[in-house]
Amino acid sequence: MVDRFDPPETTVITGATGWLGRALVARLLADPSRRRLRVLARTTAESHLLESLGPVEIVIGDITKPDTIARLLYGTGVQVDVIHTAGVIHPRRTREFFEVNTNGTRNVAEAALDHGVRRLVHVSSNSPFGTNPQSADTFRAIEPYNPYFGYGRSKMEGELAVFEAIERGLDATIVRPPWFYGPFQPPRQTTFFRLVRAGKFPVVGGGEQRRSMVYIDNLVDGVLAAELACAARGQGYWVADDHAHTVNEIVETVGRALSDEGFDVKAQSTRLPAVAGRLAEMGDRIVQRLGRYQQQLHVLGEMNHTIACDISVTRSELGYEPRVELYEGMRRSIRWCLEQGVEL
Amino acid sequence: MAWDSRHHQLDGIVGPFADMLLAADLPLLPAGRRAEAVQFVQRRVAVIPSLTRFGVTVIGLLYRGLIAVPFGVSAARFLSSKPLPVLGEYPRLVRSLGYAYIWERWPDTMPNGSQR
Amino acid sequence: MISEAASSQMQAEILVVGSGAGGATTAAVLAEAGFDVLIVEEGEWVEQGSVVPFSLEQMDRQYRSGGVTVALGLPSIAYTEGRCAGGGTEINSGLYRRPPDDVLQRWAVDFKIAELDHDEVLAIATEVEQTISVTTVPGRPSAPSEVLQRGAQRLGWQNSEIPRWMKYADGDPKSGQRQSMTRTYLPRAVVAGARLATGCRVDALEMTGGNANRATTTLANGSRGTIGFRHVFVCGGAIQTPALLQRSRISGHIGRSLAVHPTVKLAARFVDELNVPDDVPVHQVKEFAPDLSFGGSASQPGLVALALSDQWDTFARAVTDWRRISVYYAAITSEGRGRVRAVRGLRDPIVTYGLTRRDRALLGSGLARLALLMLEAGADEVYPSFRGAPLVRKRADLAVLRSRFAAGKASVMTVHLCSTVPMGEDTTKCGANSFGRVHGTKNVWVNDASLLPTAPGVNPQGTVMALAIRNARRFAGAERARG
Repeated sequence: MVDRFDPPETTVITGATGWLGRALVARLLADPSRRRLRVLARTTAESHLLESLGPVEIVIGDITKPDTIARLLYGTGVQVDVIHTAGVIHPRRTREFFEVNTNGTRNVAEAALDHGVRRLVHVSSNSPFGTNPQSADTFRAIEPYNPYFGYGRSKMEGELAVFEAIERGLDATIVRPPWFYGPFQPPRQTTFFRLVRAGKFPVVGGGEQRRSMVYIDNLVDGVLAAELACAARGQGYWVADDHAHTVNEIVETVGRALSDEGFDVKAQSTRLPAVAGRLAEMGDRIVQRLGRYQQQLHVLGEMNHTIACDISVTRSELGYEPRVELYEGMRRSIRWCLEQGVEL
Repeated sequence: MAWDSRHHQLDGIVGPFADMLLAADLPLLPAGRRAEAVQFVQRRVAVIPSLTRFGVTVIGLLYRGLIAVPFGVSAARFLSSKPLPVLGEYPRLVRSLGYAYIWERWPDTMPNGSQR
Repeated sequence: MISEAASSQMQAEILVVGSGAGGATTAAVLAEAGFDVLIVEEGEWVEQGSVVPFSLEQMDRQYRSGGVTVALGLPSIAYTEGRCAGGGTEINSGLYRRPPDDVLQRWAVDFKIAELDHDEVLAIATEVEQTISVTTVPGRPSAPSEVLQRGAQRLGWQNSEIPRWMKYADGDPKSGQRQSMTRTYLPRAVVAGARLATGCRVDALEMTGGNANRATTTLANGSRGTIGFRHVFVCGGAIQTPALLQRSRISGHIGRSLAVHPTVKLAARFVDELNVPDDVPVHQVKEFAPDLSFGGSASQPGLVALALSDQWDTFARAVTDWRRISVYYAAITSEGRGRVRAVRGLRDPIVTYGLTRRDRALLGSGLARLALLMLEAGADEVYPSFRGAPLVRKRADLAVLRSRFAAGKASVMTVHLCSTVPMGEDTTKCGANSFGRVHGTKNVWVNDASLLPTAPGVNPQGTVMALAIRNARRFAGAERARG
């Protein structure tokens, strides 16, 4: 059994208007043991996304500014947990990676330390660890850093900022989710469904490369387990579905889920040679050196690699158990899109 | 066999280069020790497989030519400090043989070659 | 010493070329089965204890070309071969691994090896283990070995002590006597009537059709000779065996599929003194096996200097701390392949090897994971062996290591060479049949590491001995049946 804290007096969430943020807010609002919920949104316009979910205290601000976090934590009481989900993944310029993912995280960690929060959960990524050296390889609980381009580097430096604060007394835990999917998904994920449906999703280099994925509700489970498991202090944990799938399996599963939800799915798939992935990766590197960022290049380049992680330590130390697997998760995502009136 | 009779020729090529390299890397290594290490490098190079030895001879001749001209020694030192493909394998081989010998024989040699 | 000097004209019913893990076991089995066996060995008989293990003197006397041999490529891969009575078993770490079950099964299927019976091979392995006294270290392992154990435990990575062919007196871990071929199978062969002639290199086999008639030789003093025989077993190791077959104009799948376990190294410095100059660690980390394994290397001060020499500008200052430093390796199973080509007029074959993209990625990942393990084990500084390597003191430095690493800048080396005459019935990829007879010949057999169809992912000599004994017994049985 894993020893757990009771839920805190106040739960604070950064990045609350994001994909994970909204899923977390929705979960915590439904949990009567969570007494106060205070969240950070970037603009009033975005904060409307949250109001539909229920009663939350909304602070408007920018995590790249230290005073924002001080305002966010002001008056939250003596027992506060902070869940830091804010981050930039597909910016226009690489500078934003570092402003938000590194400096923003440092601001949050410093403010959490000053305020004496009970625990900070920092949502990181697989990207500080790059990609596996071959398709049969799986990342263990502790791995050497090997950041994948600008995003990976910014997230690594974010982690290092958190570890530095831990050394000075902060209680913090790091959660590392790979590619996620599920309700509250942004438009890029809708594009993924559309491409699979049209048989146009580019499968690079044979498609036998493996990817760990995480269904958003599993991720929320993992984040909350990391928040409350007493022994999690100072550690980083992979939070993913039960096991990694090959890209071929993922495309096949999504196609099946779409078809079972009544969509016509083209049986064909679009295959690209591995060299296309390598070219995209080179292009991505050049573009990022110039300080720019091009989402398609980045995704295509990374698609050539295996990114697989082993969650056994997350299971044993956090008591985390992924409840939804790929097919079911994809069906739920498709239904959510339909409920939102999103065309697939 | 074909190449085995040419050891003595190779000595004249590898010896001065090894000496120059070790003198530059380990300036305070006593001359007697350096000579002993150079001899060891020569002995080893003499028994390495034929094709590698051929490569060593060719690159060694290039360096010997270089050392002979004005400012050649500093140019050779500069070149051998650079990680050049193929060409760089030669200084790397000579250096690794020399270091392995020196520190096995006199383990307490300082990085500049002096005795502790 | 039980060897005799070779003479220019020799005769035997069975000629065994080479006296290592393959040749010594072959000779013992065949001599004990009543055959007239002559073993010829190019190197000399070096009594154990007369040279310091892992020293340069040992390399001079017991290694081919003083240990300076290289498979050309980008990067070139340094390798070593034993060249002495007993071959590689005399000079390596003596770590013994059983033939892996899954590997045997895969070989049988992929290379169409007939009657590769797993129970039979394991029964032989058990005999071998008794003969060469495979055992673990009594008491505490050495400090460099404990580093591997400690680091792996902290990371939750699988690790274990690998047993060795060693005998220890009175439970003293420092009293190890290596039970190599000169102590085990070679004396056994000689007691059963075999002769062992050292200082004799076989240049070629004279062939008529598929029949080898005699061997032409060069003796240590440079004079030429010949050996007559009925059957010849070529056991010169994965480089010399295919080279000899090629020099004998035997065609087929010979020397085309060299397999190795490429390794990269690092040196790690600890707070306390731990260096053991004349022995190697016995622990291996197998968390990522078979693709990636970690272990310890010989670490006498000359080899510490060598490990630091790739980035000497910044690492040189550490050499004076050699007592606190030990050297470790990360080995991979490679998807690349190499070639061995004998070239007329050259004494030595040309060896080439190409790493694949995946191999290169795995080497980088392996070196970084090994460095992480060193930090976890308490290293205060880690010195990776490649040009431009950063000094690693903390986890964030590992990102720099990965970003600067390229296999082409590293000192890549290997010791486990195999697969140059793969065994099996699939002649498109096998040089010898299921029991080692070279395809297209009637009386030429290969019985050494060349036969292993792929690199086994573990120390291969246990597998070499077991398969060599299996094949030699088959041969003896078939000859007896023939009368």
